[in-house]
Amino acid sequence: MQIVEGTVSANSVGSSAYHRDPDVQLMLRVREGDESAFEQLVAKYQDRLIGIFTNMFGDSALAEDLAQEVFLRIYRARQGYEPTAKFSTWVFQIASNLASNSRRTKGRKKEVQFSPSMSGSQPVHAGEALVPDKSALIPTRQLDTEELREHVLSAMETLNERQRMAVLLHKFEGLSYVEIGNIMDMTPQAIKSMLSRARENLRVALEKYIT
Amino acid sequence: MDKLVRLTAEDRDNLTAYLDGELDEQATRRIESILTSSSVARNDVEALARTYELLDLLPRPVAGKEFTEKTLTTVRLDGQKQPLSQREWVRKLQDAIPLACWVAAIFFAACLGYSVTNHWIRSRDDLLLEQFPLIQNLDLYSEIGSIEFLEQLAADQALLDEIQGGDQQ
Repeated sequence: MQIVEGTVSANSVGSSAYHRDPDVQLMLRVREGDESAFEQLVAKYQDRLIGIFTNMFGDSALAEDLAQEVFLRIYRARQGYEPTAKFSTWVFQIASNLASNSRRTKGRKKEVQFSPSMSGSQPVHAGEALVPDKSALIPTRQLDTEELREHVLSAMETLNERQRMAVLLHKFEGLSYVEIGNIMDMTPQAIKSMLSRARENLRVALEKYIT
Repeated sequence: MDKLVRLTAEDRDNLTAYLDGELDEQATRRIESILTSSSVARNDVEALARTYELLDLLPRPVAGKEFTEKTLTTVRLDGQKQPLSQREWVRKLQDAIPLACWVAAIFFAACLGYSVTNHWIRSRDDLLLEQFPLIQNLDLYSEIGSIEFLEQLAADQALLDEIQGGDQQ
């Protein structure tokens, strides 16, 4: 599916297969002018997009701007929308393209300390509950969650942009190699190689904390 | 003692894919065979698995309420602004552009053609104008007859003196 600003190329042959996607149904309602359907889509995807962008750039304000831009593009393309893939595939394709463009134009910002006081985003401390229970991960010296999170964030910085996006899509969204490949315009084999290298880089960077 | 198993690049990629459940049956069997016989490979897989679990520590921010409202407001405002491409005069202009290009091309071709014919191809009138001094004295030149006669006349100084002497009288 080709993403063109304001339109989506129609491919009616495969479109019926995606009509069962509830998000596609919502988008079709948006196409008909149903604003409440668009509100539902925003509510469904905003955290996911902000999460991806925050971990891509380490800047929650930028993450919100980019997430908003994704929704704006979706809204602008509503009249020409035809379901030729899962709705989430389209959303994350836009997100991936925006991330690439943003990195090219803005450069990598220095990672800021993520704290609840930043902008409007509120952190969800999903990791806090996990680490204390996974005692096998904690080396002999005690590490608090925040310290360990910093090391993980630093390890993520060793990845290039595409590796990072692929890792985040796989980890956060639970997408398959095929789905990630569709989003990033790569073959599943290429995704496999890229994820393998990325995870190896992470393993090397976090070696001290997993042995 | 572990059997020494040399992992290919494909095998190394497949270790991660194995953890992700992305391998087909044949590749899965190969990896499991490697893992059975190589403690190094087992350690690698375990390390990869633990590293992946650490990614659960990555921040998962939640959008604030103002983000949702701001997004919807922005989108609504954007929807009210008619895109330039949809405005009537822009559409008419877009329709007119190909026609204007054709007209301009034809006009240019006509000008070029006129310039070429005007400059390189000389009309009969131009030729006549160019030869006007000759045409103006054509009667006189007809009486002379030929250029060779004029040249012989010019060479005969005595005759010229006699003619000039006759004029002065």
